[in-house]
Amino acid sequence: MLDKDGKVEEKKKGGKELAGKKERGKDGKRSWASLLSTQPPIFQSAKLFDYLRWMAAPALILGSAFVTNGIIMLLCGYNPLEAYAAAIGGAFGTGRKFGETLVKSTPFLMTGLSVAIAFRCGIWNIGAEGQFLVGALGATWFGTKVAVLFPAQPWLAVPLCLGIAGFAGGIWGLLPAILKVTRGVNEVISTIMLNYVAIHLVSLMVDGGPLQEAAKRGPQSDRIAEWVFLPRLLPPHRIHLGIGIAVALAVVLTFILFRTTFGYQLRAVGESASAAEAAGISSVQNTLRVFFISGALAGLGGAIELTALARRLFLNFSPGYGYTAIAVALLAKLHPLVTVAAALLFGALTTGSYGMQREVGISDKVTLVMQATILLFVIGYSSVQFFRKRVS
Amino acid sequence: MKANLLELQNITKTFGQLVAVDRVNFELQAGEIHAILGENGAGKSTLMNLIYGLYQPSGGSLHVSGESKVFASPRDAIANGIGMVHQHFMLIENLTVAENIALSLGQLDVESGRTWLEGKEEARREEVPPPHSSHLPGRQSFWFKKAEAVEITEALSQRFGLAVDARALVRTLSVGLKQRVEILKALAVDARMLILDEPTAVLSPQEVDGFFTILRKLQADGRAIIFISHKMKEVLNISDRITVLRRGKKVYVGKTGELTSRELAREMLGEEVAEVKRKESHATTDVVLQISGLTVQGSSGVSNPSHLAVADVSMETYRGEIVGIAGVDGNGQRELAEAIMGLRQLAAGKIEILGTAPRGTKEIRQRGVGYIPEDRQTMGVIASFSIAENLLLSVTRLVDVAKWGVIDGKTKQALSEHLVTEYDIRPPNAHMPAEALSGGNQQKVVLAREISPNPELLIAVNPTRGLDISAAHYVHQNLLAQRDRKKSVLLISTELDEVLQLSDRIYVMSRGKLIEATPHRDDITALGLLMTGENS
Repeated sequence: MLDKDGKVEEKKKGGKELAGKKERGKDGKRSWASLLSTQPPIFQSAKLFDYLRWMAAPALILGSAFVTNGIIMLLCGYNPLEAYAAAIGGAFGTGRKFGETLVKSTPFLMTGLSVAIAFRCGIWNIGAEGQFLVGALGATWFGTKVAVLFPAQPWLAVPLCLGIAGFAGGIWGLLPAILKVTRGVNEVISTIMLNYVAIHLVSLMVDGGPLQEAAKRGPQSDRIAEWVFLPRLLPPHRIHLGIGIAVALAVVLTFILFRTTFGYQLRAVGESASAAEAAGISSVQNTLRVFFISGALAGLGGAIELTALARRLFLNFSPGYGYTAIAVALLAKLHPLVTVAAALLFGALTTGSYGMQREVGISDKVTLVMQATILLFVIGYSSVQFFRKRVS
Repeated sequence: MKANLLELQNITKTFGQLVAVDRVNFELQAGEIHAILGENGAGKSTLMNLIYGLYQPSGGSLHVSGESKVFASPRDAIANGIGMVHQHFMLIENLTVAENIALSLGQLDVESGRTWLEGKEEARREEVPPPHSSHLPGRQSFWFKKAEAVEITEALSQRFGLAVDARALVRTLSVGLKQRVEILKALAVDARMLILDEPTAVLSPQEVDGFFTILRKLQADGRAIIFISHKMKEVLNISDRITVLRRGKKVYVGKTGELTSRELAREMLGEEVAEVKRKESHATTDVVLQISGLTVQGSSGVSNPSHLAVADVSMETYRGEIVGIAGVDGNGQRELAEAIMGLRQLAAGKIEILGTAPRGTKEIRQRGVGYIPEDRQTMGVIASFSIAENLLLSVTRLVDVAKWGVIDGKTKQALSEHLVTEYDIRPPNAHMPAEALSGGNQQKVVLAREISPNPELLIAVNPTRGLDISAAHYVHQNLLAQRDRKKSVLLISTELDEVLQLSDRIYVMSRGKLIEATPHRDDITALGLLMTGENS
């Protein structure tokens, strides 16, 4: 039993002075290190300067990526300034376009959150893609087979559908977790493999399988029941409730990560499993929990995409959201709130490419190049960070 | 008058507003052992990092053999014959000892190591080795000659009497053995100036004697040694000259023996040091920790060929006493502590805390067990977490500051401010990440967290390693206070003085076995023999 008296005494004595003393980095190297820190200033004594410093790395990454991409466009004979202007116009030019950017950002945000939470716990979950698909699969099953049993009850059907999809994604996430904690299987390998299993599971289901449309015309499912549709907020715009759900989840996850004992334990395991174990924090338990949550987030993302937009499942349902999500999460330094901004950027790249295509005639493949360039700079930056940590 | 191998003139290093090293002059002569004394944060490490090229000075100049030099990196320092053994090991854990040595030997170039070992270095030492001399980066062999690396390592360890298994993976070695490898690494590159940062912290009294013999050998060889230690006795024993730093300034330099240890301590602290006051034993008959027949499998290493890290150990601790376990590092102390904390599987035997056998670290901590681990870097603190967060790094603490699973910001803040003041953690800013703290201050964070909840049983493994005199004194007072509060303390330490000074009962651990040594407590030689397993 812990001594209650000791604790009370501390509370009384605490809160004396010395709080306000602003400490600069102890030396040049250290302030550099804090610049690299994955801990945002948001929950510390935040000053504008701290925010700017913390955002310096993402800004640097994006700046380099935009310049590099500009050079590539120049080499292809386009004017990059014109192209970027068209892209910005395409992504943010009108309310409608901005709305579409939000819509495109949502799957990046959901899968980005999934990756961020896992990486925070030191779990290299590359399986958001598969978890996304399994979530969509769960939603399709519910929407086409189960929801028809109790017609026109959206208040019940929609939450249930999302819940089932999240659960399915979570279970899919638990598979590599169980392999890891019982057999020591590296999760990077098992999650990548399970992505393929999920892709083929979808094709098994919709291409001749039980979920294929009744008409059997193509490899896709029937449309889900109308009362499972995720509401669109401003029809005819495609802006839907899922955007709000995703942003709310980002806020909730931020709170969980930095303000709760569960989030603390999760981060402790991620930073140093041995120190966490010595503190009595079980890394096995946290690995299982986080894998489930991570999978559930990605699965929910799949369900949102399905019930709000596509409304039926088909082959190649995800254009690789789960992989791009890794770049999104890393660019956001694994911070859920910042992931919102990073996801918005990736959404804007997609809608911006439409603008570039329309107005400057640049192929939408440029977007893929841009995404890849950002990813490369993120990885390059992370290795510099890793290297510097080793040296100091 | 000997020539100055190394000379620092008015060297200054500032970090932002903090002046870590303030216009320090320092001379190192060939063939001298020059000790540097100072509290944690006095600027010793910064000064050494300046010499070793890890930091670049903000002011002042550095001269090697009279020539002004600027070291952009340790590579330059090594090229100028400066070697360093760091307090925190710079070893590649997944390579063998021989491979680590080979790495330092001119990047896997074993030929030069061989040349040196054959005694041809005489010719080379005639003139100052130019940068990129044969044993340094530049001459690389494509093939890694593993057998030769092993041979060289074995020859090196034999020559300097630092026994270590050349083929063992570094990560399987104990802290003490890892340090041996570090020393061998520095010796392998034939450094003329050797910086040793707390080299004896992990050695037994006998080993220290042997180590000093090595140092004298190196000294007779014309090499200069900078020796950093908190242990006054050792400094007085081994050094020729002593420099004392206090708050970044040089406050004293002189021949060893000019000042007594008490006077030196006063120079370091700027005040008199208090002795540990020890009241009479309060030991009761309430058993807190009961271990019977405990056996723990070890990871492979030299000291334990049988691979039993802990072999059939039985002991108990009572309320109101400090039980000390002395022993040379790597004799199973770490495994014993980890087994008690539920961090290691028991091969056999039973551990009971307050009458029942708990399952898992969480339950053990909930029973009121505090744990100061041996390796604070990997088990004691999380480098990227702030001080405030590190002060919560214990399941019981975490529950204390939380309501419905949400950490109460005010309680956390108040707790951390209180502990930062109480334990004099510097800098006193709870938002600072632990990695920005010196080793001693990191240790204070661990102590603050583990001692402040007033645990029923405190397992302290080398609690004062890396601490300066006043901080160590503070820790000792705290351990004694726990005892006086009728709590139980298990002190596992390689510092014999500490064990003798604090413990009510003493055990000695050697090769996984535990021997009750209380009857011998006044006979250091007998204890030393027990520690080396001579009469077991």
